[in-house]
Parts: sequence; structure tokens; C-alpha cells
Amino acid sequence: MIILSVEDVRKTYVGGETPVEAVRGVSLSLAAGDFVALMGPSGCGKSSLLHLCGAMDRPTAGRLRIETADLAQLNDDQLTKLRRERIGFVFQFFNLLPTLTVRENITLPVLLAGGDVTAAERRAGELAERVGLTHRLRHYPQQLSGGEMQRAAMARAIIHEPALLIADEPTGNLDSENGARVLNLLGELNRELQLTILLATHGAETAAAAQRIIRMRDGKIASVETTSAIEEPTPRAFV
Amino acid sequence: MRLFRQFIWRHLAQEKLRSCATVLGIALGVAVVLAIQMTNASSVRGFEKAIETVAGKTSLEIVGAGAGFDELLIKDLGWLRTYGQVSPVIEGDAEITLADKRSESLRVLGVDILRDRSLRDYQLRANAETQTASARQFLQLLSDARSVILTEKFTRKHKLNIGQTVELTFADKAEPYTVRGVLKDEGPARTMDGNFALLDLASAQWAFHRLGRIDRLDVRLKDAAQLAAAERAIAERLPAGLRVQRPARRGSQVEKMLAAFHFNLTALSYIALLVGLFLIYNTVSISVITRRAEIGTLRALGATRGTVLALFLAEALALAVIGCSLGLLFGRVLSFGAVKLTATTVNALYIAAAAEPPPLAWQHVWIAFGLGLPLSLLAAAVPALEAARVAPTAAMRGSDHLISRFRLRARYVVLPLCLLAAAWWFARQPAVNGLPAFGYASALAIVFGAAFLVPAVLFALGRLGDKPLFRLFKIEGRLANANLAGAIPRISISVAALAVSLSMMTAIAVMIGSFRETVVYWVNQTLVADLYLRPATRHNVATDAVFSPEVERIVSAHPAVAAADRFRNFDIAYGGGLVTLGTGEFAKQEAHGHLLFKAPTGAEAGKAAIRSCIGQDAVIVSESFALKYATQVGDVISLTTPQGDRTFRIAAVYYDYSSDRGIIVMDRGTFTKYFGEPQATSLTVYLRPGADADAVREDLLRQFGSNYRVLIYTNASIRQEVLRIFDSTFAITYALEVIAIFVAILGVATTLLTLILERKREIAVLRLVGADRRQVRKMVVIEAGLMGAVSQSVGAGVGLLLSLVLIYVINVQSFGWTIQFRVPWGFLAQSSLLILLATALSGLYPARRASQLQTAEEVVEE
Repeated sequence: MIILSVEDVRKTYVGGETPVEAVRGVSLSLAAGDFVALMGPSGCGKSSLLHLCGAMDRPTAGRLRIETADLAQLNDDQLTKLRRERIGFVFQFFNLLPTLTVRENITLPVLLAGGDVTAAERRAGELAERVGLTHRLRHYPQQLSGGEMQRAAMARAIIHEPALLIADEPTGNLDSENGARVLNLLGELNRELQLTILLATHGAETAAAAQRIIRMRDGKIASVETTSAIEEPTPRAFV
Repeated sequence: MRLFRQFIWRHLAQEKLRSCATVLGIALGVAVVLAIQMTNASSVRGFEKAIETVAGKTSLEIVGAGAGFDELLIKDLGWLRTYGQVSPVIEGDAEITLADKRSESLRVLGVDILRDRSLRDYQLRANAETQTASARQFLQLLSDARSVILTEKFTRKHKLNIGQTVELTFADKAEPYTVRGVLKDEGPARTMDGNFALLDLASAQWAFHRLGRIDRLDVRLKDAAQLAAAERAIAERLPAGLRVQRPARRGSQVEKMLAAFHFNLTALSYIALLVGLFLIYNTVSISVITRRAEIGTLRALGATRGTVLALFLAEALALAVIGCSLGLLFGRVLSFGAVKLTATTVNALYIAAAAEPPPLAWQHVWIAFGLGLPLSLLAAAVPALEAARVAPTAAMRGSDHLISRFRLRARYVVLPLCLLAAAWWFARQPAVNGLPAFGYASALAIVFGAAFLVPAVLFALGRLGDKPLFRLFKIEGRLANANLAGAIPRISISVAALAVSLSMMTAIAVMIGSFRETVVYWVNQTLVADLYLRPATRHNVATDAVFSPEVERIVSAHPAVAAADRFRNFDIAYGGGLVTLGTGEFAKQEAHGHLLFKAPTGAEAGKAAIRSCIGQDAVIVSESFALKYATQVGDVISLTTPQGDRTFRIAAVYYDYSSDRGIIVMDRGTFTKYFGEPQATSLTVYLRPGADADAVREDLLRQFGSNYRVLIYTNASIRQEVLRIFDSTFAITYALEVIAIFVAILGVATTLLTLILERKREIAVLRLVGADRRQVRKMVVIEAGLMGAVSQSVGAGVGLLLSLVLIYVINVQSFGWTIQFRVPWGFLAQSSLLILLATALSGLYPARRASQLQTAEEVVEE
């Protein structure tokens, strides 16, 4: 089943005097259970593509679908609904809300969607156990280590059982031990829950955790590689 | 300077809304202080100016112990002429009825024109026929008893000509007078902005019912340089019952009388300024918070900490300069409103004063900038120092994004407790020079104690508020609560500022509510007579307008009248200020009246005390007199009478809320013995059982006819009148408070904006994890409402404490009134709802800004 479908997508920013074409006709497709890494130097358009795939932004041209939803057809509220129901996010700086406890942070997406508190808290407990944070549920983010914060962010990202997980440099702010642990966790989630993951990174080691690596340059896809992390043949990326 | 222009000025120009809100806050704060200064000045200055212009070249005046003195004494004072020219004077207020039936007040001076010309400059406008104006002409003009001279300004304004007849009312009697001359707008003619009339001395004595008496002797010294020596020498030679004083003394007595009223208004006006200064703090804080990276860049490029500090102080200075300049203009505009609001009180309770604020002068510019600029810099110092401490690396990396959680330390509870203890101590100290300085220190300590307690209250809310807010408002409630708990150091000041304004509002509401209840009780208990009469021109207790004997006769002879208590009062000097000396018929008071006695307690004991005064050198005094001059029953006070200093025993202290100046009342017999037969300034009429008050009132008015102008209040209407004056007294108080609260709510809105800018990333994350715009808006509005709720809870609690200080310390020391403490629950409930609503509404704009934040840029592009 296709989770993310990008067809000849372009994104032009017209903030300044000269328009900047950040994404220039990119096409790719991710099926359920895919784990794809986006690589490329700064300014190659990787972040812009990530925004688009995470339904944070709309393309200037081309077609972008998440499951059956065509992003170009959605208004702001519908995009929000899509994010809150079908997409999870993990960031380099964790982006946990400092004023909420770990448990409250994890349950946030469910409660924002109007979900049941008891069920959300039970689920948060299960996820915390899975990411090794049961003893930290009542703590605030500032009381956690970087690795713990990222694991909490991962639990938050999947509590609502999204179809697509967007991970932006998830190990960029972690030491190697914690980075490896986070990558393992991502791998596990991908395999066990058939979670589709789109991960942007600078690091080749991080990218190696994915099944495919898409390299970008000047707003376009420069190459697609398959890595040893592939367990079953599911490549459907096309350039 | 260049850096300031590039770094600060352009930024302020970009952030128009915030800059404008801040400037408006300061402007309003400064304006309120200025307006009150001008208003206070207008009442005292108006009075003093009238004295000055009327005084002319008078260096000293000889005044009597009572209401003027016997003119026969003048012949014994012939020796005064060795010091200079002497002129006897009658001065008073009259009303002129104009063609359109409206009437205006006139200050009337009655003089012996030949003698008086050496003391005052009278310039008659040249007569069309003779082209000259001489002393001889003055004499001719004044030889007819019904002649009056008006001023050029007044006649021009009302299109009056020489030879025309006008109707003048002196005390209770209206008579036609002929305009015999017009004074040029110089000298005394400038008194009361031209509302001045000149009469011959004898005509004035007749018109004011002061036959055989004069108000004072004005003396122009030959050698003005020897003023002090002459004053001493004259004082030594004057017979008992007369004293010498400088004309300005009357002004300073009035100033002293109004001091407490003015002091209280001034103290209130500073609250608005305080709240305005908080806005400066807030705005500079916002600049520093939102521009950390830029500050870091500046520092990295070589700007010293001093430069950064100076830049942000300059930002405050720029805002303050604009705010103070606008404040000057606003202040001028507000002062007109303030004068209007206070005029009723000043005129009804103290003096007749011109109801116009003084023009803007350098001294006002000095007040605005001298107060506004240094205080603004002080307010900006904390955030500016924070800016100076920004490390270049930390700011550039953005690593100081994570805030450290607020931890409740012992000092957040201990400091407020210490301040409350200090407040308790201050509240027990006596007044300083008749002003409740320690009372205000106590109020200030409570206010600061409350302000310092705010972080602890917010901490408690953060801890306890999650569950109820979640139940009430779902996840948005939880988020709002968590956001506030995480921003305690940032929001404490704005919540405290609003809480302080609200606490003052509550305190004043409780005080006024209690006061009103007390007055209503007092009115119901003491105002038991059926009719109250006063001459039409007697606008306040200080106006010495007496009844014509004919009016007294008509009233006493009316078949329905059981008793008419003739009351007379006038001002006398006592203890460096003015008090009211009154006299009534104690036998009638005992039989019909219902005074409420503070001491001795109980109605019967009070009546016995009144009885004990009859035929004795004994008086009863009002509570405010007893408190002001620290006297009690059994004490002996000394009063200057026309027969010299005499002592009187205080037989009772009674409650009185009609005036705070202090009243001494003696029986008519005692008064006559020392001051001469009194003419009544008011009549209190008790009717026979079954008589209809309205019918008697109509009947009396019919008998008075059109010649006598007498105001007759029935029992119901006098009660209404008392409460009308009461309510108008406090109108200004509420007006000041509303401004302070408006500025404080402006503060809440800008604080929320700060928080939102500070939390851009968090809000963006929230949007990413699924919050829609509506949810973000709801969250911010709840935050605003919560800030309002905390402010109102702290404000109401502290307000109740403050009201105790206001009622039992400040009011007692300022005015000397006992007020029964009552909590106006209805008002508190209403104002709480209103504040909650207003603060929640103030959150709408920040909420909109928050919901419009672009999510992707904030979160992903680190």
C-alpha cells in the first residue's frame, strides 16, 4: 500500500526579491513499511521536501499524496487533521514541550484529537516501557538526558499510530551511544509495526539504518541507493 | 547613536503595535498624575488667586474672632493709620440672575471707595459722556444703595450696559440693582475670571444682613519692607478678639483643609503611573527575549556589555520621551474631566473654587519628564542588564532555548510575610502632620507583599490547576496551565501589576461601600426633621449667607411648625487650620433631634450631655474634630471669641459625615454671650404631628414670594442630596481606577505577546503534533483568562486587607470618620466576572498571532 506519493513536486519560496526554487521536480514513493533516508548537503532542498512530506507545507507544483489525501486539495484545518492522525514527527532538538511532563508530552497528539484520556495514558505507559522511560513519566524534559528526550519524542510521535514517521536528523544532537539506540528503536518500529519512515540526515551511519538512501542536490534527487538494511524487496522509488 | 537608530529605532518602528501600547501606557500613567496635580492646584490656586486679586496692595488684614466684627471697634483702631492706609471690607458671594433666567455666582466686595482706592486699583471704563472716570464719579455711582459696579468682561459676556437693572440675590433675598459703572479688567476685576461686583460698604452691609459689622480691615503699610515688624507690633496692640494676619494665610488655611483630600487623590494617581512603568519593563523584556541572537551577534562583533546595556536603556528612554510628551497633552485633557469630577466635592464640602484647571506650565513639563524618565529607566534596568549578560556563543547557538523550571524558594513566601508584618506595624503608627503617611506605607507594604506573593500563587495554580482545568477546558486547559507554570518568572510582574490595580479597586469599593452604608445609617438615624431650609446662595458650609429676619419669622409663625432650630455656623481658625463653629438651639435639639453620639454612648446619655451644655461654657464636637485634635469628652478647648480667648468643656462627641473639617457646636445662649446674637444660616424644622411636609413646603415658598430665595428640602430630598454629594465625591476615584486597570490589562496583552514570541517553537511543535488554529487560540485565551483570574483572586484578597487599612487607618487619620466595615459581595462578583472577561478578551490578539505562526520554519529549520 502506498503511504507517500510524490510526483514531480516543486516548491518555490518567494519571500525575498528573487524566488528560490528549493525543490525542483522530485518524485518518489514510499509504501507501508518503507524506511527511506534523505541525504544531501545543506541547502539541497532536503528540509523543504521533508516539510512537504510532513504536510507542513503545500507544493507549488506537482502532486503529493499521503495515503489517499491529495495535499494540494486540503485547507489548513484538513492538513492539521492529517498530521494529527496519520503523521508522526521526530526532530533533532526533540521539541518536547518543556512545560509538560513526559507522560503529558506523549499523550498530547491523542488528546489534541479529542481522544480518551485513560486510553491515552495507558498507551503512553506502554510506549514508555517500550522506549525505556517508565521511570521518567512524571519528569519534565529538562530533567532528562538527550537520549531520553529523543526516545520520549519518539513515543509521542507514534502514540496515535501514524502511517508515516518524519524524522529530521533524529541523532544529530545525540552522542554515538544514544544515537545508535534511537536508530535501533526506529528500526524496530519499522519492522514490527510496519511503520513507514522518512528520515533526513547528514550522517552516512544514520542513513545506513534505512533500506534506501535518496541523495539530493540542488533541489533534485541525485541518486537512490539500496542499503544492506533491506530485508525484503520493496523498492519503489523512481527518479 | 547610529547603532541606536539601526538597532533600536528601526525595531520599535517595526513593532508598531507593541510600541504604541507601551507609549500609551506611559502616557496614561503620566497623564493621570498630571491631571490630579492640576486638579488639586486648581481648587487651591483658584481660591488663592481670588484672595490675591481681591487683596490688591493689602499687606495685612485685621480679622475678628467670629463672623467679622463690630464696626464700632474701628474708632478704637485709629492708631492703625500710623502704619499705613486702612480700609474696612465686606466680602461675600451673591448670585446674579441673567436675562435668560440662568444665574451665575459673583464675588462681591463692599468698600468705602474713597479709602479703598489706595489699596486696590479700580479703573472705570471711561464714560461715553464725560470721557473720564474719577473718584467723584465713583461716589456718585455708589450714593444710591442699589448701585453696583460690574466688570468689563462680565458685562461684555452678558451684554449688560450702564444704567441697566439686574437682579442680585444676597443670601436669601433678591433685589434689583442698577449697573452704575464698568471696571476695566485690571486689579480686583480679574477676580473669579471677571465674576466680580463692587458695592459701597454700607450697601454691602445691608445686602448681606451684616449691619453694623465688617468682615475685616485691610491695611496697606507705608513701608512694605517692614511687614514682619509691623505685623508683630500691630498684634501686640490689638484688643482681645481681633487678630492680624497676612491675606495669604487664608489660602494656606484652605490648602491645609484640602490637604488630606488632595493627598489621597495623588496617592491614587500614582497607581496608574506604576502600572504604566510596568509596561516599559515588559516591552524592553520582549525586545531582549526576541533579539537574543542579534544581541549575541552584536557582542560577537565587538559590542561591549556597556553598549548593549545603553542600547536597551535608550529604547526605554525613547518610549518614555514620547509617552511623557503625550502624557502632558492627555494630562491637560484629563484634568478638565478631573476638575469636573472633583468640583462638586470641593465646592460642596470645602470652598467655592473656579472649576478650571491651570494652563500647562514648565512645572508640569518638569513633573512629567522628571517623574516619567528616571522611573522608566529604572523599570528598564532589569531587562537591559539581562541583555548585557547575553553571551555571544549562547545566543548564537540558540542553546538557551530551554527554560529552567521555576522552583518555589522560601523567600517567595517569607518576603511577603515580612512585608505584611511591616504593614501591620505601620498601620498602628499615628498620623504625621495630619496626613496618614504611615497608613500609606502600610498600604504600600501590603501591595508589595501581594506582588511578591504572586509567583507562589502561580506556582500553586500550576500544581493544583491541571486536573480542574483539564476537566473544564480539555487539553487546551492543561496546556494553558502548563504554559503559565513554565513562565512564572515572565508573567509574575504583569499578573502582579494587574493584581495591584485590582486590589486597589477592591479596597476602594469596600471602603466606599462601607462608607456609604454607614452614611445611609447615619442619615436615617439623624436626619429626622421634616424640613431643612437654607439661603439660595449658600452653596457650602463656608458661605456666610444668613436668613433675613422676615424668613425666620414666617417659618416660626407657621401653624404647622412645632419647632424651628436656628442654626448658624462659620469658619474659625483653630489649631493652624479652619474648623466650623456652629450654634443651635440645644433645647430643641434635645426635644426633637437624633444625633448619634460616639461619647458618651447611648441616646439618653447623649441627650443628657446636650442638656448639660445649656447655659454653660460647654460644647459638643464632631468625631472628625475629636480625632484631628486628639480631644475627648471632658477635655477643655480654647476658642478665640470677640471677648478674648475663652475655654469650653467638651460635653459630647457626635458622629458627623457632612464635613471632615471638624465641627464645634455650642448652645445659642452660650454663643450669644460670647459672639453676639447669631443670624441663622440654616433652619431645621420639625412639624406638628399629622402635618404634610410637602404642603408646608409649598405654603412656605408661597409666603416667601418672589423676593426671598430659600431652598427647602424635605426629609426625603435632603437624604437624596447627601447621597448625591457622597457619590460625586467618589466618582473621580473610580475614574482613576478604571484607567489603571485599563493600563494593566494592556500589560497582560503585551505579556502574552511576549510569551508567544518566546514560545514560537513550542507553539509550532504543538501545531505539528496536531493542534489546529482554533485549539491554539483557545489555549492562549485561557492563559489570558487564567492570568486575570489569578490577578483578581490575589487582588480581591489583598484588596480586603487594604480596605481595612483604608477604613481604619487612612480614613480615620485623613478625615476622622468611623466607618462600619461591610463587604460589597455583589460588586466583587460583578467585577471578578468583568475582569475575567476583559483579560480573556485581551488575549484574543495574541491568540490570533499565535495561531498564525508558521510551523515548519520554526521547528525544522534549526
